[in-house]
Amino acid sequence: MSDAGGMSDAGGIEVQGLSAQAGAFRLRDVSFAVPAGAWGVVLGPVGSGKTTLLEAIAGLLPTQAGTVRLAGRDVSQLPPERRGLALVYQHAYLFPHLTVWQNVVYGAADPTLAREVAERVGAWALRDQPVRALSGGERQLVALARALACRPRVLLLDEPWSALDPSRRTRVRREVRRLHDEWRLTTLTVTHDFAEAGGLAQVAVLLDAGRVLQTGAPEALFRSPATAWAAGFLGVENVLAVQVVGAAGDPAMADPAGGDAPAAGPGEPTVLELRAGPLVLHAVGVAPPGPAHAVIRAEEIVLSCEPPAGSARNRFQGIVQEVAAHGPLATITVDVAGTPFVAALTRRSAQEMGIGEGSAVWVSFKAHGVGVVPDSRTVLRPRA
Amino acid sequence: MGAVRPRRNPTSGAPGTFRARTAGGLAAVLAALLASALLLFLVLPVAGLAVQGGAGGLRGLAMDRELRGALLLTGAAASAATLLAVVCGTPLAWALARRRLRGAPVVAALLDLPLVLPHPVAGLALLLVLGRDTPLGAALLAAGVRVVSAPLGIVLAMLFVSAPLYVAGAAEAFARVDARYEGVARTLGDSWWRAAHRVTLPLAGRGLLAAAIVTWARAVSEFGAIVIIAYHPRVASVLVYDRFTSFGMREAVPAAAALLIVALVPLVLLRLLRARPGVGEQP
Repeated sequence: MSDAGGMSDAGGIEVQGLSAQAGAFRLRDVSFAVPAGAWGVVLGPVGSGKTTLLEAIAGLLPTQAGTVRLAGRDVSQLPPERRGLALVYQHAYLFPHLTVWQNVVYGAADPTLAREVAERVGAWALRDQPVRALSGGERQLVALARALACRPRVLLLDEPWSALDPSRRTRVRREVRRLHDEWRLTTLTVTHDFAEAGGLAQVAVLLDAGRVLQTGAPEALFRSPATAWAAGFLGVENVLAVQVVGAAGDPAMADPAGGDAPAAGPGEPTVLELRAGPLVLHAVGVAPPGPAHAVIRAEEIVLSCEPPAGSARNRFQGIVQEVAAHGPLATITVDVAGTPFVAALTRRSAQEMGIGEGSAVWVSFKAHGVGVVPDSRTVLRPRA
Repeated sequence: MGAVRPRRNPTSGAPGTFRARTAGGLAAVLAALLASALLLFLVLPVAGLAVQGGAGGLRGLAMDRELRGALLLTGAAASAATLLAVVCGTPLAWALARRRLRGAPVVAALLDLPLVLPHPVAGLALLLVLGRDTPLGAALLAAGVRVVSAPLGIVLAMLFVSAPLYVAGAAEAFARVDARYEGVARTLGDSWWRAAHRVTLPLAGRGLLAAAIVTWARAVSEFGAIVIIAYHPRVASVLVYDRFTSFGMREAVPAAAALLIVALVPLVLLRLLRARPGVGEQP
């Protein structure tokens, strides 16, 4: 932490072409950037290299190639203690031979600040306890306080509140977010919580098998996943294998009331005709003819008992296969000529519409709501 | 509510089950007999030595100046060898445990070598390097450093046979401490050395101490290598051998019993240390 104070304010976390080895696992050519003062999230399945990435940024793993710039400075060759960051692991790694308070002030230059941080994240009440007496959630609180007490410029968090109960998680997350804003921290968090990713972050990095699959604003990732696998991982309910037949016209005409944009030029989004078995779908995008995947979020799909009156270009009749309740919401699976479509409704709406298993319903969605991912863009995954 | 009659296990009375139970019981009895035989074999000679020589050994500790001197020399030389093993072996053990060493398997195999050598052979090997007629031995002698038939030779012989035990034990102690503790300390501002001092060594401390005790005990019990490189001055094990060959059992047993009493000290310490796992060690 010694050099943290001397860092410039420019730049947050900039990783360029980073490769690193951890045992048999390898991070390959990882590049992304989190602007100064921004919050980034790393998403990916178990074993995709999320923790390894944080350790490589922290300098705990030797890098084989690439650069890491923190706060505008190339730290690739610097040891961890001179990178001006703090790292919180999911399992906290509190020093068991020290008390909670000794842990909190371990790297702190200012005990008053350490106390303030401990109070804010809820670790102050635990200060006299031995580490062995703490629960998993309490350990996470102390680990957060210990990291923040150093007043780092860059904060790396590896599922830091996974062991907290939901209400405390919300409180602690809010407090850490406040500190992040007050101190203009640059934060990178590993999470499996998509709601957290969408709610907290300005940048999302999707990792798979040690590679960056996609990076950008979280909304962009969730709206336009780069591959069919990414769509599935990010929770897109409808990922259909299709054949792109070709362009079907002007995107302005994608849906009869879709707008009055000028005709698309070469390389610009156009209305595509897709075939999924016997179904013909329409989407707006750029994709060469050939195999692809259509990606449709459940909330894009409208269900109705009567033929839809709206402007949606995709409209099919089907039979409700399953109604699954998730709290106040329900996901309705509708079979359309052998192709299942999943739509999301409030349970109340589903009840009011009289939707139940076996009901005949209309499924409609706009061409603009259909993403097309050509299979040529699908990154080959080493793990099948 | 009526009483519920316990259902009888339909197979519980089957002849096959009875045979299996009987076979299992016989196997357990056989295993207990074999284990008892081994334990008796290990304990009886030591108990015999304690019974026959215990009083004489204690008397020897008080009255026999030669025995006391040999025991003091043994203890001092073993302590010096252990200290050298700890100072030189701890960084090597850390590097082996953290896989930070190129060619670690080769190093580990080299460390095993002294353990598989017959100890007189180890003494001969040391003599080939440090003997008066060797370049190194001659250079040391010219510099006034005597190895053969000197306390330094005893220390080096003890170090040769016991240091691998320290390195192996210390590497195991370091391996039980998750490297992420060190990583966290580094991100909190510690240099490598400071993290080792504040985190790794305290967490591995109990294991390191146990490894040092084993090393000391092994050094104290060494005979084969010492007798080749430094018959004189006599350490306790050489004195016991000398009295046995010169005067027979009557003279050797009290000295042997005194050595047994000294050897019990590290054994008890080790048991106490291993009674509970160290703080921070992975289960």
